[in-house]
Amino acid sequence: MILNEDALRLDLQLTTDRLRRFIRDYVKKTGAKGVALNLSGGIDSSTVAALSASAIGGHRVLALSLPEEETRSSTDIQHSQMVAEKFRFKLETIDITPVLKSYFKTIPAFDKRDRLSKGNIKARARMIILYYYANRQSRIVLGPSDKSETMMGYFTKWGDIAADISPLMDLYKTQVRQLAAHIGVPQEIIEKPSTPQLWPGQLAEKELGIRYQTLDLILLGLENFMAPKEIADQLNLPPSVVTRIKERWLSNEHKRRAPLSMKIQYRTIGADFRLPYNPP
Amino acid sequence: MESKQEKRIKSKLGEFTIALGQIASKVGDKKYNIETIKKKIAQARRDKADLIAFPELSLTGYVVRDRAYELAEPVPTGASVREIEEIAKKEQIHVIFGMIEKSLKASAVLHNTAVLIGPDGYIGKYQKMYLPTHSVFEEKRYFRPGYQTPVFETKLGTLGMMICYDIYFPEVARLLCLKGTQLLVCISASPSVRKGFFETLTAARAIENTVFVAFVNLAGIQDGLQFWGGSRIIAPSGSVIRQAKYDEDDLIAARIDYSDLTRVQAWVPTLRDLRPEIFNSLRDETEKL
Repeated sequence: MILNEDALRLDLQLTTDRLRRFIRDYVKKTGAKGVALNLSGGIDSSTVAALSASAIGGHRVLALSLPEEETRSSTDIQHSQMVAEKFRFKLETIDITPVLKSYFKTIPAFDKRDRLSKGNIKARARMIILYYYANRQSRIVLGPSDKSETMMGYFTKWGDIAADISPLMDLYKTQVRQLAAHIGVPQEIIEKPSTPQLWPGQLAEKELGIRYQTLDLILLGLENFMAPKEIADQLNLPPSVVTRIKERWLSNEHKRRAPLSMKIQYRTIGADFRLPYNPP
Repeated sequence: MESKQEKRIKSKLGEFTIALGQIASKVGDKKYNIETIKKKIAQARRDKADLIAFPELSLTGYVVRDRAYELAEPVPTGASVREIEEIAKKEQIHVIFGMIEKSLKASAVLHNTAVLIGPDGYIGKYQKMYLPTHSVFEEKRYFRPGYQTPVFETKLGTLGMMICYDIYFPEVARLLCLKGTQLLVCISASPSVRKGFFETLTAARAIENTVFVAFVNLAGIQDGLQFWGGSRIIAPSGSVIRQAKYDEDDLIAARIDYSDLTRVQAWVPTLRDLRPEIFNSLRDETEKL
């Protein structure tokens, strides 16, 4: 397998059609009235919002913009509005700052210097509000997670990853960029650096320590059972870079699975209790 | 007394209409799926079809996982086979469909089975020989493989059946054809990532055996798997006579004329040119793999 840009190229129309049908089919099977999603103004959530509006109609899509004082970005808010107008879905903005302050004040062990733990509260607070709307208005929650970030464990457990379906989870970030351009997500959103918005100035590529163009090729190699040395040779990288990515991918399996349990009985949840994913 | 279908077929020997019912089965809902099968049969009869085939595990849906045990039924004594028999008798049509078969001797022994029913009732069955257990497939976890390659002498000629992944192993089709199969029906539940393989393999099996191939695939989405449909009827020369839509529910029908077999077999005499002396080597080398 040759690891280059071509290896990540998609049949974009086919992928678009498949994802639209996937969203439409799931909404239909669950009998939900529509979908809800957290629109950050970034590429992943904008792409999911645009796909779902074209799949089931913008009138059935509720996007929630959930800014808070530390990471509020007028550019992101403007981008969210731009996508909502272009793809004609409803956008509601809720400032979650009071909720967060209340958490920070209520938790005795809270330490503002621990920005990761604090940032995760933000992602989980967004999830709580999103699911409130889903319950209240009979909507399913669409997640924005892509394959690069999910493989890296670069998300908040039970936070931004929490969803009923995640249409982009089998597409690497650079593939999401291709798809976004194909379906007409504005270029400025596609080109903007990704951020999980957990603290001010947080940038995904800086934190991951690698550009998505390279990361995606490494992950594609790992997906295809290639040895780290082979990947490193092909991409002209030090083997330690590929090994570091591989170790991070493997060590984050706990974030991608149902909670691990001890096998005690006949059939065990998450182990050998194998049931079809058949919405009620 | 001749049945209506016998009269119809006799109007031109070796020529009949086959339909493929590309349905999107509902997982675990046999009642709904039988109703869908029934509607497709009625529609196929309006197209004057003499035979209709439905996809692999069309009775239960494909991704049933542990529910396989509760959804399994014996063949042919189970209620679902009996119900489809009644429909076939009423509509005077041959029907092939896929289901989970429960052994009469050991109730947790299951097979992935294709059932053939004629206008007079049950004719026979084929149990899938090659059970994919890789990638998203976990068939060996639930099913025992079949060991037989039966062919069935029917009013529509000699029919052979195989199921999905069997098509990757040319010896299944070859065995069925060496036993005289004129129409090879491959019922399938193939998800979208495998589309390219099947488009090639279905034509290959037709060409290398100079046989008619009818490939009927599931449509719809189960557990995030898009079954790609694309069912097709293929001439012994490998050309696609008729093809169904991709991904969605559909029904197609085409005329089969067995007189084409002689023409193609004279033109590409693959069966005449078979070399049995190399088959032992094949077995020896496979054992050493």
